[in-house]
Formats: sequence, C-alpha cells, structure tokens
Amino acid sequence: MLSELKSEFASLAPLAVIETDYKVKGYHLDVEVGPDRVVDAAELLDRLGFFLEAITGVDWLGKNPVGNQPDPVSVNEQDPEAAEAEGEAGSDAPADKMEVVYDYNRTDGVLCRVVVRCRLDRAKPELPTVSRLIPGADWHERETHDFFGIIFTGHHDLSPLLLPEDADFHPLRKDFKA
Amino acid sequence: MGKESLQSAIIKFAPLDKLLDLGRANSLWPMTFGLACCAIEMMATGASRFDLARFGAEVFRPSPRQCDVMIVAGTISKKMAPAVQTLYDQMPEPKWVIAMGNCAISGGPFVFEGQYGIVEGADKLFPVDVFIPGCPPRPEALIEGILELEEKVTGHRRWPRVEAV
Amino acid sequence: MNDLARSPNQETFVLNLGPQHPATHGVLRVKLTMDGEYIVDAEPVLGYVHRMHEKMGENRTWVQFMPNTARLDYLGALSYNHGYVKVVEQAMGLEVPERAEYLRVITVELNRIASHLLWFGAFVLDLGGFTPLLYAFDDREHILDLLESVTGSRLTFCYYRFGGLCNDVDDDFLTGTRAFIKRLRKRLPDYHNLVTKNIILINRLKDVGVLSAEMCRKYGATGPVLRGSGVDYDVRKNEPYSVYPELDFEVPVYSEGDSMARYMVRMDEIDQCLRIVEQALDKLPEGPVMAEKVPKILKPAAGDYYGAVEAARGTFGIRIVSDGTNIPYRMKLRSPTFSNLSLYGEASRGLLLPDALALMGSLDLVIPEIDR
Repeated sequence: MLSELKSEFASLAPLAVIETDYKVKGYHLDVEVGPDRVVDAAELLDRLGFFLEAITGVDWLGKNPVGNQPDPVSVNEQDPEAAEAEGEAGSDAPADKMEVVYDYNRTDGVLCRVVVRCRLDRAKPELPTVSRLIPGADWHERETHDFFGIIFTGHHDLSPLLLPEDADFHPLRKDFKA
Repeated sequence: MGKESLQSAIIKFAPLDKLLDLGRANSLWPMTFGLACCAIEMMATGASRFDLARFGAEVFRPSPRQCDVMIVAGTISKKMAPAVQTLYDQMPEPKWVIAMGNCAISGGPFVFEGQYGIVEGADKLFPVDVFIPGCPPRPEALIEGILELEEKVTGHRRWPRVEAV
Repeated sequence: MNDLARSPNQETFVLNLGPQHPATHGVLRVKLTMDGEYIVDAEPVLGYVHRMHEKMGENRTWVQFMPNTARLDYLGALSYNHGYVKVVEQAMGLEVPERAEYLRVITVELNRIASHLLWFGAFVLDLGGFTPLLYAFDDREHILDLLESVTGSRLTFCYYRFGGLCNDVDDDFLTGTRAFIKRLRKRLPDYHNLVTKNIILINRLKDVGVLSAEMCRKYGATGPVLRGSGVDYDVRKNEPYSVYPELDFEVPVYSEGDSMARYMVRMDEIDQCLRIVEQALDKLPEGPVMAEKVPKILKPAAGDYYGAVEAARGTFGIRIVSDGTNIPYRMKLRSPTFSNLSLYGEASRGLLLPDALALMGSLDLVIPEIDR
C-alpha cells in the first residue's frame, strides 16, 4: 500500500513525502503539498478508498512549523534545548505560516493512515475546498475557518459553525485575545 | 393579571396561601432541560434508583409553559444564553431556578483567562434560588437541592437535616 | 422517497427543532425545511455547548488537560481518557505495565456498556416507550457503583494517568464485576423480549433512515453507525492497541444500514463487552499499575502525533502538536459524532419527521462532544 501510494503521490509534485514510524507518530505517510494540489490529493485518496477523518489547522505564529522532519528524534534522546534553539531560529523566518492538516484513514482492514498537510502564508490563508468531492469535509472546513480564519475558496457556506452566528473572531489563532 | 395578584396580597388569605405553597412545594414540575454532563445525573435522579417521584418532583415537562422550576444542568454557552433567557421568561410565575453543577454556578472548569465561549454562571442571566455544587453533583445532591427549594417555598423542611458524622 | 418530498412546491415551511427539545438529547438545533410532514432539507446548527476544549488544551500542561477529556463525551468518558493517555504515551515512549492495560480495558468496556445502556433507554424513550429507560438505568447504576469504587466519580471519570492508572482496584471491584456480568447476562434476554421483539419498535426502525456504506465513507462516519451499514471496522481490531489483541471478541456487523441495524449493533456490542471484561478479569496479571520512569514534567519531543481509540460512538482521534515544552502547542480532538451527524442533512431528506427523529436517535449523539 505504502509504496503504491508513494508512487501515486509523486505525480502530484508534492513538497515532501515521508514515511513515518507508526509506533511513535500514529500515522504511516506524511505528505506535504502546495495549496493548489490539495484537491488533487483528496481526489487521489478518495479514489483509492480512503476516507477523510478530520481536517484541522495549526497556527505557527513566530515559529518554524514542526511535524514532518525526516528523522523524528526519539523521546529518550530528546534535547529540549536543541528544540528550543530551532524554534528561535525560526523566528527570523521571513513569513509566519498557517498549516492545514488532513487526516485520511481506511476502513477496509488495511492499516494505513495518511496525513496531508499544506502550509499557507499566515497573512493570506486561502486554499481550495475539498467539500465538493468529500461532503464530510464541509463541517470540518467550516470548523477550521471558525477557529483559524482559514478561507476555503469555493466552499458553499463558511458561516460560523461552532461559534455564535455573529462571531468575527478566530479563537485558536495564537494572537487571539478575548 | 398583575392587579389580581396584587389584590391577593392586600386581602390576606394566610392559611390558603400556606396551603398553596405546600401544594407547590410538594409537586414541583421541573423542565426537561439538559445542557451538558449534569443532565445525565438529572436523568439518573429521575430514574429507577433515586426516584425523584418520592419528593413529588418527577413530572419533567418539555415545555417551559408547564413548569415551575428550571434546573439549569450544565454549561451555558454564549450562543445558548439567549435561548436560556427566553425559556426562563416563558415560564409562568411563581417560578424557581436551581443552578446544578459548577458550570451553572460560575462556569466551573471552563473558566480561564481569555475564555470566549461561556456565561460564567446562571445568575448572570436571572435570579437563582438554589445552587448545587459538584462536577457533576450526585443525584443525592440534586434531591437535597429540591428539598432546600421546598424549604424556601414553605418555610419549613420536610425532612430532618442529616448531620455529618 | 415520497413524490411529495421529491418535488417540493412553494408551500414549504421552516421548522425549528431545538436547541431545547427532548428528542435532540441536549442542545442541538436542527433547522428543518418541511413540506407537510416530509423533510425537504435538514440543517443541524451546532455550537450551543461549545466549551473551548481545544483552546483550553493550549492553556495548560499535559497533565492538567486530563479532566477535560472526561467532559467531552460524558457517557463514555474513559474512552476519551484512554485516547489521550495513549497518544501522549506514544509520543513520550512510555511503557505501561500489563496490569494497568488490563484494568484499562476492563473499566473502558464497563463504561461502554453503561453508555450503550443509557443510549438504549433514551432511544426507546424517543420512540415513545418510557419503561425501558428505568430498566436500563437500573443496570447502569450497578456499573456506576463499580466504577465509582475505583475512580471516585460517577460520570466524569478521570482514572488513567500517563504510564498507568491513578490507583489499583480492590477485590470487591473484581468480585462485583463478575457478579454484574452474571446479572446483565440474565437481563439482556429480558431487554430483547421486552423491546427488540416489540412490533412497534420494529415498525418504527426497520428500513428507516438507510445509510449506505459509501455514504458513511464520504462523511467519515465510524462506530456503530458504520458497522450498521455493513462495514467491519473497529479500531480495537483494525488498529489494535492496549491488550485487545490478546482478547477474543467479535465485532457485530449488520448490513441493512437502517436504524434497526444500528440498534442491533449496539445491543450485540453489550454482549461482546461482557465477553471482553470476563476474559480480561481471567487474565488479569499481578503487578504494578504505574510505570516507574514517568517524568514529573512531561515534555514530548517536538512534532505531531496522532492516536485513535474506539469510543462508544466511533473513532475518537486526537492529534497533539508539541513544541517540546510542557504545554501542548495544539490539541485537535476528532470526535466521532461530529462526523456521524454531518450525514444527517443528506440522510434525512424525504423522511417523515418522526422517522427523522428515529434516525437521529440511532446516531447516538452526545452534543458536548460534537461542539467540544
């Protein structure tokens, strides 16, 4: 399954395709694509019989995104200072990022979890919707829009889902203040 | 309507008022109104083991117009607050409110600096008669709260208070 | 689908169901567009008990988030406890003693039975039968007594710790659990005689709210909803965790996809849960219930981790993002009923209103878990 997936993904010009240690990470394949390829990735996985388990966002304000480094440091050898130093180095990075993470999974007995992530410019977080292809993405995208203000272009209704109808704030942004 | 109730205050039917109070206290009709976790304990209180019917308060009505006590069982979010307020306003007088659980008392565990979603206590919306602490309170605690409310209505307590050993 | 519903004329009206309605099990609101008694369109409106769990995750340490997991799905709190400790243990590389794993399975399955029993009572109550609720609560109280004796609370359990459990069980719990298994095995046939074979129930549920397996996949539905549509998927089997691989149990699957199938899945699951608990009691090893080398301050290595468990309502997934400090950077809670409910709009189209309520009941909703 994994090698087949990897070759399929190669056609999408991904920014990164990393096989991860399931025992530690909880998923098998970590794919990073550009915003213009998110729908293609969804189409590919949908065709192969995956289902979308969740969509979420992460706000990387003033930090270097972590998550898909090639060699996840094992816990016992972790060096918090090194991690911190890395974070500090990230603060001079040119632009802050906003990340959208799609979790895909299968129900047919083949154990294969795929994470598709897409990093956006925090100042203008926009990417196309996958809800036309996968109706279940509808609410997940609305929720992500609620919490992070990420705009899913082409989505039929991005009005607040969990927040009050008139909410104009995005509480899970790191610079949010009540 | 208002005039009529005023008149009854001027002309005192003291024994009749007492009798009415006794009737009200012993047949409280709570509203079926579960907000969160506490609602399950409220259900448990009404169900077989704790049997709220022993205290005459088992007639849970889904419509606010038929109720005289509102048990606020759970977290009131800012989105829900107008609905809760409306329900309270729709209840006919005389009416009482029990705030069940920490969320209804003060926001409970969901209060933190920078919280954006909840109302910190039912008493921010309307007057509350009895507060029952717990997260969630046990069914026995809810029963005690009902007895406390009865005491408030009639002025005397149906059951002797159990002293802590 | 009824012809009337298929060609709605101009005479539709909007019916507001909730947020305070006895059939919505909490504060769910559904905006229904009706054509007479038929539903043209249903749009659930969420967020009436949004309690900011994900924001709270970013405001406190890893340990301090534990009580929140108990208040997500208060009917099956231990599954959520389990999902959370599992993913953090995975990130930290903590080994959990075997006895603790067995006790986790015992308690989590008891909790699952309690959850299904409450669902059973409330679901039949939705359909107009009051008495089964009293039977169900009677049995449920026995479980709550058992769990209270080890966890200290009746509903919002917070029993697991990173690397084990907060305390060991005593002999009373073990004998009490065995007695309970015996008791419930005797009672289950009563339930079936009283309710399952009841002609009114069958007429209300058979062929009502049929969900296809493909629809479940498109919407990401899991748990009994998916298994009622003929898909054999259970995280305990497909993605084995804890000591489930060492226990012999079946995953009930029904292929009809109607409300009756979902009802049967849950009822059969109670039976399987009893089997799991019984075996786990037999195999329960001696030993510590807490790992020895658990750091006082948890600092998982920077990165993101995903963990999933089978909760009573489906797959509970949790994605944690750590930046290497003792405070989570991001905590995403993937709740099963959020996805299960998202198919409601499509599935209820063309149904009669009472049938749509039967469908809603058969999805087994817990609103604070949807709204988080």
